Amino acid sequence: MQPGGSVDSVPLDADVSTGVEETASNEKGGSVNGPEIRSTCNMDDIEAEFHCHVVDENNEDYYNKPDPIRCKRYNAQMPKESGFRRSTSTCLELIRNAMLRHRWQEAAELMSSYMQMLEDTSVSKQLMACEIIWRLGTEILQHHPNAKQEDFDMFYQSIKNVRVNNYLKISLDHSFHLMLTGHMEDACRQLSNAQNWRYGNLSSVQLNLKKVIHAYCGYLQYLIWYSKKSKASGAENDSGSDHEMHSYFRQASVTLQEVLEQPGVWDPFVLSYVEMLEFYNDLEKAESVLKNYAYNERFPVNPNAYVYLYEFLKRHDAPQNKQLEILKILQTLVPSHELMLEYCNILLGTGLHDDLRKALTVVMDLLEYTSWKQNVDAWEHLNEIMEHLGNGHCLGEWESRKNLWLSLHFTSYHARKDAILSVKLVDVKIKFLTPLIKNYQEYTTAAYRVKKRKGKNGSQGYKASANTGKKKK
Amino acid sequence: MDEELTDGYHEPCPQCLSVDWGVSDAGQFFCRFCHNVIERVLLYEDAELLSTSSRVSSLSRASIKKRRELHRNWIVIEGFQFVLLHQAEALVSMGVCSQFKDDILYNFWKRYLQATNQAYTRAPLCYGEVEAVSDFTSESECPSELSFQSEPSLRGRRKRTASGSSGSVVSSGSMDGSSYSKRKSGDFMTMPRTLALCYLALLWVREGITLSDLLRFASEKHLPYINVHEYFPEEMTVFGRDCQYFKVESIPSYSHVHKDILKLARIMKLPAFPPVTPDCLLHPSLLSLRYLVELNLPDELHHWLCKVIKQANMAEQALLTFDYSKRPIGTSHFSYDLQACALIIVTMKLLFRLDDSKEWKLSKIADFADPDAKQYSLAFWHTTMHKALVLARKREKLHTANQQWKSSKPFILSERNKSVFLKRRRVVEYLQTRFQKLSGQAVETEPTKPSSFIFLWGDGEDSDGPSLHCQKLDCNLKKRRQTQLCANKKYWHPLLRPCNPT
Repeated sequence: MQPGGSVDSVPLDADVSTGVEETASNEKGGSVNGPEIRSTCNMDDIEAEFHCHVVDENNEDYYNKPDPIRCKRYNAQMPKESGFRRSTSTCLELIRNAMLRHRWQEAAELMSSYMQMLEDTSVSKQLMACEIIWRLGTEILQHHPNAKQEDFDMFYQSIKNVRVNNYLKISLDHSFHLMLTGHMEDACRQLSNAQNWRYGNLSSVQLNLKKVIHAYCGYLQYLIWYSKKSKASGAENDSGSDHEMHSYFRQASVTLQEVLEQPGVWDPFVLSYVEMLEFYNDLEKAESVLKNYAYNERFPVNPNAYVYLYEFLKRHDAPQNKQLEILKILQTLVPSHELMLEYCNILLGTGLHDDLRKALTVVMDLLEYTSWKQNVDAWEHLNEIMEHLGNGHCLGEWESRKNLWLSLHFTSYHARKDAILSVKLVDVKIKFLTPLIKNYQEYTTAAYRVKKRKGKNGSQGYKASANTGKKKK
Repeated sequence: MDEELTDGYHEPCPQCLSVDWGVSDAGQFFCRFCHNVIERVLLYEDAELLSTSSRVSSLSRASIKKRRELHRNWIVIEGFQFVLLHQAEALVSMGVCSQFKDDILYNFWKRYLQATNQAYTRAPLCYGEVEAVSDFTSESECPSELSFQSEPSLRGRRKRTASGSSGSVVSSGSMDGSSYSKRKSGDFMTMPRTLALCYLALLWVREGITLSDLLRFASEKHLPYINVHEYFPEEMTVFGRDCQYFKVESIPSYSHVHKDILKLARIMKLPAFPPVTPDCLLHPSLLSLRYLVELNLPDELHHWLCKVIKQANMAEQALLTFDYSKRPIGTSHFSYDLQACALIIVTMKLLFRLDDSKEWKLSKIADFADPDAKQYSLAFWHTTMHKALVLARKREKLHTANQQWKSSKPFILSERNKSVFLKRRRVVEYLQTRFQKLSGQAVETEPTKPSSFIFLWGDGEDSDGPSLHCQKLDCNLKKRRQTQLCANKKYWHPLLRPCNPT
């Protein structure tokens, strides 16, 4: 998430249910998909919110039509707007046009004229003005060629104190900006200032924000620790920097521990905490944290939690039954997860009959998903399981799914598609199908035809074969 | 204790821009809002000086006295008087004769005050114990030459009693701020009415400034209108209820000011104005000439326009001269600028019919004519005008967007919110300078000079297009016998008969 939230980008309006939603992708210090913070104004609907008339300057009628504001006499339905309001709304329209056309110099000049909106006597308009100026101002500063870091700092400092409701959000925005430009310590300092801030009664939104701020404080401490660690491992052992590193570890662990006790989705924070604990070889603690994250009922259901726990156990060579347990839960949650094949492998490895049957159901469930339909590995696994189990046991499973599978995987259309994709896939599928159904010609003949064409025409095979395939039918 | 110690220090805090200083135990200055500690330290000597009681008391007494000297009691009418004064000075500096300010406007103002019983009467309708009004210290004349009843102006310490409420709550800077609007409605002075009064005075002096020009000058800030309280002297503090009289958030519309003009004329019972003679700039023939130049139309058109004026009897003195008591019943509007524009349109319609076919045919003839003959072609005029108009509209839009309505002396509506307003103003100014620095803009751009004309036609670099003033209308005319006639024979209005060309 870009700090400040750009005009045409994403998510500033999502719901915050119990905690903070975050996606699973998390590289260390890299692209962090930040939390989606509820905002008072929906930036995506800028026209409706800011009452802009969307004026198309390319439309000739715009200039030939009589100006609606002037013709007050002729058009009584036009709402009466004071000169001040008209100035500010025109200004906003011009700023919007300049920004959409990437004319940043012009936008900056117009923005300086727009500042007078902050002195509007109407409370609602002034609230809106603060928000607009904050978001558009940061956007302009980001793209303007002459903008420096101190401009950002000054801007954030000034705009923070204009209205008390926005203080926390803007602090968070400021620290994100600092984080993304590499000033970790400044970001951390900003967040700790924000944590100590308090004004009157805190609303629920602000309480949520405070949680987020607390979490990011911990995360920043982790990031600083990480950078120090990589520096320390590269350079010679310097006790001073090591000491700093350890102190950051202590701060980070305290903060993150507090954060992780609260229900929510804290994926990157969990991973960072676990990584730190692994570095210091505190494996029990790490395992307990992950288990709490996965199994605690107060936390929302999160498949990633199980993934993390499984990977941790795998890394540290935990016994297989533990791994199986976790994968079993994962399978119920997300049957199409990429770890399912691994699950199958483990189950095949045990050799127990029950496990093989379980593996069969797992793989068949998996293959019902579009993303796995054309996956050769999955089909091969299926064949392997079939071999081990024997036909008799598989038939039962097959009967219940037969109708679905025939139309899902084994029509002539699929034959053509699969043949184009990979010959191996076709072979594997045919190998699967033959013992189960006699005289099912549709798939096999179509596939055979395509293969023949492919063989004949070489690289130009498939276009021609697709046509002829159709014709022959 | 802290206020006394930090009394002299009013710099805004570098972090949060508020001015709310306290002194810690160690003597360091800290901001009470964001707890930012700055380097300034209270010197031991200062503290020692201030700790003795005599010093402290003398300090406070001195500051209060200073504040009291700076403040003086004033009433709303005085404020409007200042406004009119400054507007008149601005107009005089733009080229209006000085008679306008010293004689005419001043007399109109006094007449208005007398007519509405606000001054120059035996029993002025002011509140409280104020005896007479109108402080003329800034205007040198005394009211001797007029035949009005007048009281000599008294100025001295007047008792400050707020009407109704107890004396401790100060709701306005002026003395009658809360009660001024409770007068009989229609009588009190408002900001648009200052413009109306100026216009009446200009009309009396027969200057060439029309009402639309006046409004344009106000919008371009050549005429003080938008933040007039900046012109008030320091002793007159505009505060609280006064703001409703002096605060403007938009330039009033033409019709609004026009209505005010008629109202004022009624209130003041003005006699017949000096007649508008053909040499006066407001006369339709001269005013329309000005508009013809502005519109880049050929000068020959003026000849036809005068014919139209004669035929329509628009040059009659009675119709042109403003006389409220004798105005024709049924017409409430009386505007020279609109009349001139209407005349131009009618003349063009008579010459070109303007029914979207005849004028293009005539322009084609002109286009194919010899270029040396310089024939006027409406099509060519239309394209040049259109280009210039598009650019002018863009300029105007930019001007509207950049117009600053809030002044550096913010209007403070109540004591409670004073710090909030001041702080906001500081933040706004700070952010403005920062963004301006960012874009490399000069902080003070050269203000444009006031001008009656918006477009500039000619061959220069700044011009909006080529000048068509010297072009001839021969293609649109036919010779019959000795006189020239219009090529267009039909009147554009379908219901009216074809006019007989004369």
